[in-house]
Amino acid sequence: MPRLELGSWIQSGVDFLRDHFEWLFDFIAKVVQGMYDGVHDVLAAPDPLLLAGILAVLAWWLRGLVPAVLAFAGFALIDSIQQWDEAMETLSLVLVAGAITIVLAVPLGIWASRNRAVSAVLRPVLDFMQTMPAFVYLIPGIFFFGVGVVPGVIATIVFSMPPGVRMTELGIRQVDAELVEAADAFGTTPRRTLLRVQLPLALPTIMAGVNQAIMLALSMVVIAGMVGGGGLGSSVFEAISSVDVALGFEGGIAVVILAMYLDRMTGALNQRVSPLGRRALAKQAARATGGLKVLHWRPATSVAMVGVVVLALVAGGLNIFGGDDSGQKVTADVGKGRTVNLGYINWDEGVASTYLWKEILEQRGFKPKLQTYDVGALFTGMAAGDVDMQTDAWLPATHASYWKQYKNQLEDLGTWYDKTSLEVAVPSYVKGVKTLDDLKGKGGTFKGKIIGIEPGAGEMKLMKDKVLPDYDLNGEYNLVKGSTAGMLSQLERSYAKKEPVAVTLWSPHWAYSKYKLTKLEDPKGAFGKGDGIHAIARKGFSAKEPQIAQWMKDFKLSEKQLTSLEAAIQDAGKGKQQDGVRAWLKQNPGLVDKLAPAGDAGAKKGKQAGAAPRIGYFPWDEDVATTYLWKNVLEKRGYKPSIKQYDVGSMFTGMSAGQIDVEFDGWLPNAQKQYWDRYKKNLVDIGPWYDKTSLEIAVPSYVKDVKSLADLKGKAGMFKGKIIGIEPGTGEMQLLNSKVLKAYGLDKEYQVTNNASPAMLAQLQRSYAKKEPVAVVLWTPHWAYNKYELTKLADPKKAFGANNEIRSLGHKSFPDKFPEFHGWLKNWHMTEQELASLEQSVQEAGKGNVEEGVQKWIDAHPGIVDKMAPVKS
Amino acid sequence: MSRLQAEHLYKVFGRRPNEAVARLQDGAGRDELRADGTTAAVIDASFAVEAGQIFVVMGLSGSGKSTLLRMLNGLLEPTAGRVLFDGQDLTALSPRELRQVRSHKISMVFQHFALFPHRSVLENAAYGLEVQGVAREERDRRATEALGLVGLAGWENSWPDELSGGMQQRVGLARALATDADLLLMDESFSALDPLIRRDMQDQLLELQKRLKKTIVFITHDLNEAMRLGDSIAVMRDGRIVQIGTAEDILVTPANDYVASFTQDVDRSRVLTAGAIMADPEEALGTTTPDGTVLRTERDVLEAAPATVTADTPIVELFTPCSRSGVAVAVTDEDESLIGVVPRARLLAVLGEPDPGADGAAPQEGRKTAGAAVAKTSGATDAPDAPEAPEGKVIAGA
Repeated sequence: MPRLELGSWIQSGVDFLRDHFEWLFDFIAKVVQGMYDGVHDVLAAPDPLLLAGILAVLAWWLRGLVPAVLAFAGFALIDSIQQWDEAMETLSLVLVAGAITIVLAVPLGIWASRNRAVSAVLRPVLDFMQTMPAFVYLIPGIFFFGVGVVPGVIATIVFSMPPGVRMTELGIRQVDAELVEAADAFGTTPRRTLLRVQLPLALPTIMAGVNQAIMLALSMVVIAGMVGGGGLGSSVFEAISSVDVALGFEGGIAVVILAMYLDRMTGALNQRVSPLGRRALAKQAARATGGLKVLHWRPATSVAMVGVVVLALVAGGLNIFGGDDSGQKVTADVGKGRTVNLGYINWDEGVASTYLWKEILEQRGFKPKLQTYDVGALFTGMAAGDVDMQTDAWLPATHASYWKQYKNQLEDLGTWYDKTSLEVAVPSYVKGVKTLDDLKGKGGTFKGKIIGIEPGAGEMKLMKDKVLPDYDLNGEYNLVKGSTAGMLSQLERSYAKKEPVAVTLWSPHWAYSKYKLTKLEDPKGAFGKGDGIHAIARKGFSAKEPQIAQWMKDFKLSEKQLTSLEAAIQDAGKGKQQDGVRAWLKQNPGLVDKLAPAGDAGAKKGKQAGAAPRIGYFPWDEDVATTYLWKNVLEKRGYKPSIKQYDVGSMFTGMSAGQIDVEFDGWLPNAQKQYWDRYKKNLVDIGPWYDKTSLEIAVPSYVKDVKSLADLKGKAGMFKGKIIGIEPGTGEMQLLNSKVLKAYGLDKEYQVTNNASPAMLAQLQRSYAKKEPVAVVLWTPHWAYNKYELTKLADPKKAFGANNEIRSLGHKSFPDKFPEFHGWLKNWHMTEQELASLEQSVQEAGKGNVEEGVQKWIDAHPGIVDKMAPVKS
Repeated sequence: MSRLQAEHLYKVFGRRPNEAVARLQDGAGRDELRADGTTAAVIDASFAVEAGQIFVVMGLSGSGKSTLLRMLNGLLEPTAGRVLFDGQDLTALSPRELRQVRSHKISMVFQHFALFPHRSVLENAAYGLEVQGVAREERDRRATEALGLVGLAGWENSWPDELSGGMQQRVGLARALATDADLLLMDESFSALDPLIRRDMQDQLLELQKRLKKTIVFITHDLNEAMRLGDSIAVMRDGRIVQIGTAEDILVTPANDYVASFTQDVDRSRVLTAGAIMADPEEALGTTTPDGTVLRTERDVLEAAPATVTADTPIVELFTPCSRSGVAVAVTDEDESLIGVVPRARLLAVLGEPDPGADGAAPQEGRKTAGAAVAKTSGATDAPDAPEAPEGKVIAGA
């Protein structure tokens, strides 16, 4: 048989179209993108729960109370598994694609129903559209429209159109011929017959088609995640490419919820839209009685619309006024709404520091929750993980017993105040009492009482066990147990009457700024050395919130700052602590940025701060790590980078089309040679940042006697004739198949399997756990070498070629568009140790916490940001 | 001039219809055409319908009667021939003009009612007016009126599927009447109804017709129905009209054996009238009464007759008098003068068989063929009606 070059003809046809109709595709892309942006803006704007409410009202209107409640619960679940943004992106995609599909499909179906020739031509075309594997549409999609939302929408339209057209045609053909004849017999025009008789009667079938189209659109949209369509598709794709069961399930369940909602709603829409459906509804409502009636009751259209509009207005209102309502604005969104549970003891410095951090964290986009505890409960709560952090641990002395008991479940975030002391104080109008020794014999003056605080407090314990015996005050003085507030009010009362009073007090305390008090000296050192006030957190908190942990570690207040803060809170009055903090912060401008430097705040901005480079990356460890590293660094420099994951083919296509500005994982000259050669006229090589790479086959080191590729020969039985490969499009796989196996005569013996890299790693892990022999396609750098003991098989024949360098590649416009960033990249190098530790850090942070891992690594490498992205000031 | 006239209508389905018409005009048969894949549905149909008349087209399924009906309002375009309505040639109109005529002057009632399921009874009845562009209030008023005419007052807001078959067809009738069209085309309109309901509907149609005086073309396959309703009846067979005449014409003088075989099942006693079967008065003269009196004059006949009836009395009313007396029943005109007599023997003879003597056919052969045709007909036609036939007769007599 002669080889029919069908594929290449199609390819050249596609090329021709792309070159000659670029204006058309650009126009389509613009329209589709515009529609998508519009819909997405609307859906993404309201608070998730509010939008869930709106969707629930729609469900109520269409299907009744129970579905409405379920819909709300479903969307709340999506929100709580943090797939909301993705879900809204997906929903926007489906709505746009669905709308366009319906607008095209219904008229086509009508045309086909009225014209046999059209129907005959359309049928095979629709068959083709429906049966062609959905993935295939993505290829021309990318070619014509680049990566992103648009090719996803286009592929979705193509894929979901057939049922819309078919069902419309079927529905109209199914309308009783006698009815059409009747309309005709009364002189109805064909157009009117279509609109008033055929379409209304065909509506149930057409709506079934619409329902089908939307369901297909949803399934396709997920696939579109592969070409940067975003949304849940990206979640699922990311989960697949990293074998992340958790993310996969969450993304998947969100898709299921969306699908069920859309399915039931479009299904029910039929009942509302078609006259026959409305009648069926009315009948059903009439049949229902009693409790059933409530369940079946649905708001009339007008009522439902009013509900939706009201909720929408509330949503809009909240967005507009939201900032003013709480009186606080987020200055740098580090927290992205994550919750932090702060516990505190109701002591003044505890209240002051905790409310200070509440304010700061809110400004940084966190949602801190405050809860007051007593000391014991606070420590137990933290040990149990219910409380994330507290700022008022007096160590090493006062809270020593608690610390000793729970320290294994806690982390010490360091001292933020060290001029503390415990003491007994008396008003300075009490003359002749300067030291604890002076108290002796003056029991009468003080009525034999020293006013104490809570009995559980460390100070009270110290007083009883040490101070009173040391100064021999036992018997003469009675240490009154009470509360801090009681002690302070007693002080206030006595102070006002100028009566002598002795109170247990501590520094820092606002009482010293309010009253004139004498701290009694402790010449015998009975109170011990001054404690430092520590911030402590539950175990694992600094891994989860490295940024906060870092802030706490750097947190310091001077005595003047602390006492003035306490006083400000005292002045603001009870229940208005945060107002006091704000007032105080106003007097200390810039303090928030100093205490909590967030990304750009505090760091020097780059010259092109605000520029938004688009960075693409592969789901490979070194690239994920470095891309997130640059994202972090760029954000610190005031850039607004956006990053997105691609596979090799779409990365190069997208970059050559100018949709991706830069990527950091170009393995040249060997591995990605074919792509580079093909697209290099549109690309620019920014330079290598890592040169210690190699490609290889690795086996676990417990597999003895296999040290080089040559040793594999004859051992096929041991490895079951398989070498576990990676993605078939990668350069390494092509090298392996075309060169390496032949060079060592392994091509007959071994088969290289095609997998995703994570699948290869999963296989490696499984075999490694069972100590089975396995040969995997691997490359250096890779964290697998840190995690497992592996032997890189030597390549004496140099079949893998010279070592690759990892280079940053960009679109040709990149150097002009981002000269500063370009300069940074040109001078950027990483050592093997740096890259390995970065990957390790990312690996340890766990799935979904890449950013924390990167931040942690940056924290561990002080100065790295300035080194990577130097800014002259 | 007649209200509606059909002139040499042909309808041929299939390829090269005009050629087929030419062959038919040259005397080719329907079967020859069928061999070539063309179907001649209607062949050379001509008739005229007078204003205020009910014109019934009767034939078995496949005889082309529905096709003929659809050519009358242009739903099907005749292959050849003309349709003149009030002197206007419908076949020459543009589609737009044709729709105009249909919406204002011709309405139609369908076999399976063809009510719009997504419209209420009132909206259905108002449909034709809506197409005419009549304002809502006006059309609701007129539709309500039409519903009242057919006895459906109070059902306006119901939905078609909530009504029985008979009521649905009344809605269909109301829809047709509401437009005030003069010509009503009824396509087997009562065929899908139960016999009892059908009888009701027939009565109602006749009742309405007395008041409204529409021109009606009514299609049916039921000869009893045709006889009841039709002022004039056309019998169709294999696309051709084989006989046009009144019920009595068809019954008494069937054009051929086919028609005769049809009439076999008809309850003649209700269709035939005394006038149609009476003998000349002279026939009674010279007969003797049971008590021996010889009737010599017309006066004697009148006095001795067990009953005196008019010419349009159905003969069913003659049986009882005849059974009481051997003397002939007297038939008189408005002036009470004797115009004929019906002797017992004549009455029985009429009921027995179609009268072969009318066209002078050989009795023996004619009977044989007729018998065969009857057997065929009762087997092949009206399968659904067959089991109900006795009941139908009872009702017809009620």
